[in-house]
Amino acid sequence: MNSEASTQQLSYIANQASDARVNIELETEGMTLNLGPQHPATHGTLRIIVRLDGEQVVSAEPVMGYMHRGYEKLTEVRTYPQVTTLVNRIDWLGSFANEVPFILAAERLMEVEAPARAQWIRTALFELSRIANVVLFLGDMAVQLGATTPVFYAFRDREFVLNQIESVTGGRFHPNFDRIGGIKDDLPKGWIQETKDVLVRIHSFCEEMEDLVVGNEIFQTRTRGIGIIPADTGLAYGLSGANIRSSGVDWDLRRDGGVGLIHDQLDWKVWTHPDGDSFARYWVRLQEVRESCKMVGQILDGIPSGPIMAKVPRIIKVPPGEAYVETENPLGVMGYYIVSKGDLVPYRVKIRSASFNNVSITPWVLKGVYVPDVISILASLYFILGDIDR
Amino acid sequence: MSSPDTNAEEIIEESIEPQEEPIIDEKREAFVASIKQDLGSGFIDSHIDPEIDVWIRVTQEAWLETAKILFEKHGMNFFNFLSAIDWKPSPFGREMDAAIDNVDDEVAVETEMEWGVAGGEKRFQLLARVHNPVANMGVNLKADLEGDFPEVDTWTPVYPGANWHEREVMEMFGISFKNHPNMVNLYLPTEFEGHPLRKDFPLLSRRAKPWPGIVDVELMPGENDDETEESGEET
Amino acid sequence: MGLVENGKLPGPLTKLLNISRKYSLWVYQWGLACCAIEMGAAFASPRYDVMRLGVIPFPASPRQADLVVISGTVTDKMAPAVRRLYEQMPEPKYVISMGSCANCGGPYWDSYSVTKGVDQIIPVDVYVPGCPPRPEALLEGIVLLQERIASEDMTDRWNRDPIVVT
Repeated sequence: MNSEASTQQLSYIANQASDARVNIELETEGMTLNLGPQHPATHGTLRIIVRLDGEQVVSAEPVMGYMHRGYEKLTEVRTYPQVTTLVNRIDWLGSFANEVPFILAAERLMEVEAPARAQWIRTALFELSRIANVVLFLGDMAVQLGATTPVFYAFRDREFVLNQIESVTGGRFHPNFDRIGGIKDDLPKGWIQETKDVLVRIHSFCEEMEDLVVGNEIFQTRTRGIGIIPADTGLAYGLSGANIRSSGVDWDLRRDGGVGLIHDQLDWKVWTHPDGDSFARYWVRLQEVRESCKMVGQILDGIPSGPIMAKVPRIIKVPPGEAYVETENPLGVMGYYIVSKGDLVPYRVKIRSASFNNVSITPWVLKGVYVPDVISILASLYFILGDIDR
Repeated sequence: MSSPDTNAEEIIEESIEPQEEPIIDEKREAFVASIKQDLGSGFIDSHIDPEIDVWIRVTQEAWLETAKILFEKHGMNFFNFLSAIDWKPSPFGREMDAAIDNVDDEVAVETEMEWGVAGGEKRFQLLARVHNPVANMGVNLKADLEGDFPEVDTWTPVYPGANWHEREVMEMFGISFKNHPNMVNLYLPTEFEGHPLRKDFPLLSRRAKPWPGIVDVELMPGENDDETEESGEET
Repeated sequence: MGLVENGKLPGPLTKLLNISRKYSLWVYQWGLACCAIEMGAAFASPRYDVMRLGVIPFPASPRQADLVVISGTVTDKMAPAVRRLYEQMPEPKYVISMGSCANCGGPYWDSYSVTKGVDQIIPVDVYVPGCPPRPEALLEGIVLLQERIASEDMTDRWNRDPIVVT
């Protein structure tokens, strides 16, 4: 373990020592607490069995599968266009972003490249779905720590983003808009100006969150130094996205991956935070929403004209081969490993979803923390149950 | 090497052909050469998509050692995923389709086992991916597994994140892992029977009520009905 | 209040009780999958604001709830928990099945782990179709349920067909 981990352990040892004095007087004994399967703090149906000694967590074991819907099996009996309908529903807050890596992987196997305009619109929708996703997190984390107001603000401003997604795709929630070789439709009239207005709103929402939440003393006390994840441990568990960037790892597939989307043509910044605690994870996500707004603004100014669909056959058959494509989704690295045998349906699709790895660290990170911090850590790791259980 | 395997290789090679001169990916070539040297007889095969990706196939015995080498020597400290592939040829999914789905007759039901990139020998193949965030290079690993209910070393000492992935593989494919700390079901209820991602696991709902078929194929933008009928079957 | 369930109250009093029940539906906070977010948008967002209909989304315990919205995919592993939560609710209780997954399995109709319809395990009063339904559709379902409650006869309660929002 490196120095950060040992700092964390030292603080726990100090806490335990102070607890021990109380324990001698009060005779605490082990207790099992069952969080879930339904709990307001878990974005769905995750169940965690926590063994407690007094207020401290001895061990935490997530029990999953309450939202396991069998995606990987179902993709084997769906044609490629049908699979996009299905994978929309994995990370249900940023649905469009789920389609993108799958489509890119299929395009790589078919050796099709989407026209420039399609790629730009794809990237715009990709970032808008990130905003729709993370904005809810910004409000939701606060509500889990006891501040009820921010979640209403989040729902209020998220609606405007959903409206923009809906007016392009027709789907408020599950767009199913991405096609192999391009996108389904062009942008509607007046969309660009409306979206710019929405971006202004989101910017002011970020300002509001900065004042209301980040600057709040209670919030800081409840999140700073809580749930520290050192970079090497996080990487070995496969943490990705803002969770690993808040541990100081400067790695973002939008900048470093470079497949199919046009992030490399935009001017933006990858934010990291050295602390690796719950506060850092919140702060990094807040900055990422701002960056996304910046990116969408640049995209709106620079969308090239041209076709939105490459020449693809009407009935899509993907040539035999294997491809793995991953993108930086709102929750972290999401990838699809497609094995094709030249059929209408994929032979095997391995879905690498971000939350599954992000949550797999919970038994490690929850060990030794206090009960209220469990909620703070779970909220800041930010998972979506469809993304864990698939 | 068996013939289906070389076929698969050729198709991949062809796809790279159109460029005038084949790209040599020196970084990945050197990486594969280094792994080959370290593993010795544990290394079986490899495949490189220039500038894109690399696949390495190792033996079942060298599975854990490969992870150690990648982690320690090559800085592949980001654990991406671990899964498996069942290569059993299966009419699965086709025999329950509606007639309308069988748009062309060329899709014959396979009888021979056919492997994908980097070849294969056995029915079950482990598939894992690890990544080096600094050099920004990932590698896909494969290993053939012996038998119907294979057992292989766990990766958890090297990558603790493999814990849940291995539990998932256990319940989805029936592949168990030696020395795994907690080898129990992850997703499914305890009374569930069978391993769903095996190719011979049937989806009973489809048997009871077959899928009605592709009844509504959506037009591509800018296409009208007349064009689609012509361009439909070609390319 | 066994009298209400027995239907032995005089008509005007029943009517009064029905109106009171209609405008104080306490709905249990119970989210399952994607639809839970649309339900959250209907319940927590200022744009849809379910409270103006007299629906109160506060109880975090099924023992205080009159109404539960099954919002999302019910898996075979989750089904016993759904059943148990329903049984903990006091009578008279109502169930809204929200979204295709809860209605019939939806996109997962052929999955090996999904319960094809929550009506296999608990009785459903209102079906709201959609994947996911818009918040407006959920509100429509709630309004239709309230209309039914307004003229409800307890003895006849279980003989009625469920409402389907169209």
